[in-house]
Formats: sequence, structure tokens, C-alpha cells
Amino acid sequence: MAIKDITLGQYFPGESAVHRLDPRTKILGTFVFIISLFIVNRFAGFAIAAVFLGAVIAASRVPLKFMLKGLRPILFLIVFSTLLNLFVTTGTPIFQIGPLSVTEEGVYRASFMVIRLILLIFGSSLLTLVTKPITLTDGIERLLSPMNIVKLPSHELAMMMTIALRFIPTLLDETDKIMKAQTARGADFESGNLFRRAKGLIPLLVPLFVSAFRIAADLAMAMEARCYRGGKGRTRMNGMAFTGLDALAFLVLAVYFGSIVYVRLVTA
Amino acid sequence: MKNTIKSQYWVHAAVIGSLYAGLTLLLAPISYGVMQVRVSEALTVLAVFTPAAIPGLATGCFFANLLGPGGFGDAVIGSAATLIGALGTYRLRNSLGRALVPPVVANALIIGLMLRYVYSVPLSAIACILWVGLGELIACYGLGVPLGRVLQKRKGDIGL
Repeated sequence: MAIKDITLGQYFPGESAVHRLDPRTKILGTFVFIISLFIVNRFAGFAIAAVFLGAVIAASRVPLKFMLKGLRPILFLIVFSTLLNLFVTTGTPIFQIGPLSVTEEGVYRASFMVIRLILLIFGSSLLTLVTKPITLTDGIERLLSPMNIVKLPSHELAMMMTIALRFIPTLLDETDKIMKAQTARGADFESGNLFRRAKGLIPLLVPLFVSAFRIAADLAMAMEARCYRGGKGRTRMNGMAFTGLDALAFLVLAVYFGSIVYVRLVTA
Repeated sequence: MKNTIKSQYWVHAAVIGSLYAGLTLLLAPISYGVMQVRVSEALTVLAVFTPAAIPGLATGCFFANLLGPGGFGDAVIGSAATLIGALGTYRLRNSLGRALVPPVVANALIIGLMLRYVYSVPLSAIACILWVGLGELIACYGLGVPLGRVLQKRKGDIGL
């Protein structure tokens, strides 16, 4: 893949209610949604999850085209799993194609799995579509902050994540430059078996490390020169606060989760 | 001085995270799925040289998975596997050959079981574990070990 073809992050800019939610609400909501998909044990539960997710997607005003794009990389997995579940599951046969028979149980299992997979991918990719990566990092820092009691350095972790995100494009550019320079010197990144090709990346990685750690040393020195002292006593330009919108979101989420649990218990 | 060392530790971790995420995204088609060979997993060898690689690799995996097709769930589970693997590598850092066993085992088990039970891949759990383990073995021993040997000779130039 050409380096210029790589898109970083998939944030879809917008001012919708979902975009405006506090990142902590969105992260917790995504967790609850993912957990709920594994509580579901029949199609009625998936219908509730699909209606809930559909409503959130509609409220976020993210075009469906964008959501569907996220499915493309796992299309092979969906087709492969569906076919295998259809033809391998034993049970009451519906029809036969040569030696292979499609069973009622196979159709049920394949549909159940595909629906869950699609809802899982849509649900988790919506988080990155409506939240900027930096905001997401801030949200993670705030969610982890109670862990400071057990000495988990939440501020440092968030700072590291922010710097890591910032440097991905820089290091991708650097990789491109080194790759071209090494190819011009006769390095071969494309031939041989998997082990040989993996080993062939060493002439790329070593100069990349030299460059990356030089950047790290400069940055650490710049932070020191600006008197960086970690998270203690640090204030923020854009504070984070729960609003009425977040309260409403939690209420909707509670109703949704309650319905999923109810459907599960009723059918237990 | 203490602050400089602390800043340097976290900045090193961040840069390792960027390298991991960048390499994963660069080689995207083979970095995700059942039959994955995540070349960036070779970077777990960095945990032999610096403890900063432990949070760095986990962060890199978090972003690589978050920006990849698996989304948030994959990001959380994948980075947990990488974190466990990197912690094991750091503990066994005295022997390069043994140091890369933990990432292979942690990823094969955690990602293999995730593919089977979360993504419902229609292969047995053992088959998923073996597939992921094989890819991880290629990345860690095909690239990680030779890379580690080069780094042992050149760690002074690199600043590790």
C-alpha cells in the first residue's frame, strides 16, 4: 500500500447531538453496546440493538455510505463465515447443492453471526466517526483518573497517546523516505518467502529507529525547556463537563440495556 | 533531572507507539484478520532494551486497531494482549530467544479466542489460535530476533 493512500482516523466532522456528547459518555456507551450484543441470545434482542444503533447513527448524521465503508475490510470474513456456517452446520435440511446441504440450523446460525458482527463493527466504528482522536484520548484520561489512587499515571498515559497520534504521520513520511533511499541502494522488500521478506525490513527499521528516537530526544528536551512537570496541578483550556445531553444519553442507554437484559431473561 | 528522565520515558513510549501503529497501517491488508502477519509485532523486541516499550507497544496496538476495521473492541482486547506480551518480554529480556515467546503466546491465545468468540470466525478455537500464533511467530522470530541482534550491536547509535 502506498503511504499517501493511508487515511489516519476516520472522524466525520459534524455538530450533531452525538458529536456534542462528552467523550466519556461515548466511550462508556460503546462499551455498554458491545456488551449488550453478547447478552443477546435471539433475534428480538438484535432487533432492539439495530433500532437503537440506527437511531444513534441517524442522530449523528454520519452518512450510511461512511458506515458501510467500515465493513469493506471484513467483507471476506462475513462471506467466509456465512458460507461455512450455512454448509457445515448439521440439522434439518432445507435444500441440497450437490453433496452440500443447507440446514435450518445453518441458516439461523449464519444469520445470527452476521447480524452480530455487522452491529459490532458499526457500533464500535461509530465512536471514532463522531469523536476526534485527541478528544477520545482526553476522555480516556478522565475515565482512568480514579485509577491514580493505585498509582496508574493516567495523565502520562494520555499524554503518551496524544504524542503517539501526533507522530504517526511524521514517522510514516520518514518510513517513505527511508524506503526509497534503501531501495535506491538495492534493498529488496518484495521478494522471497515470508521469513525472508520479514528479515528484509531490517534495513528499513534500523534507520527508522535512529530517526524516531532522535525526534523523541528533541521532544523530551523541548518539554523540559518549557518546564513540563506532569499532570499535577495542570489546568485545561477546554474543560470537560457532563451536560443535560449526556444525562439524556445515559437515560436512553439505560432503557436500551434494560430492554436487552429483559429480552434475555424472558427467553431464559 | 528526574523530570527529564520521566519525560524521556513517556516520549520514547509514544514514539514506539507511533512506529507500531504506522507499520501496522502501512502493511494493513496482512495486519488484520485470522491469517494475519503483523510485522509491527516484531517491535516487541524493543521491550528487551527499554521498559518504555511496554506502554508504547500497547498504545500503538490500541491506535492501530482503533483505526483499523475491528474498531474499539478490537483496540481494547488487542492492546491488552500486546501489553501482556511486552511485559513478558521485559521480564525475560536476558535471553532474546525466550523474550519473544510471551508475545507469541499472549497474542495467539487472546486474539485467537477473540476471533473465535467475539468475531465468530467459523473455525475451531485451536485453529484460530494456531493461525494467529503462526503469523506472530513469523513476525517475532522472522524479523524480531534478527532485529534484536542488530539493535544489540547498535543500541548506542539509536539512543536506546
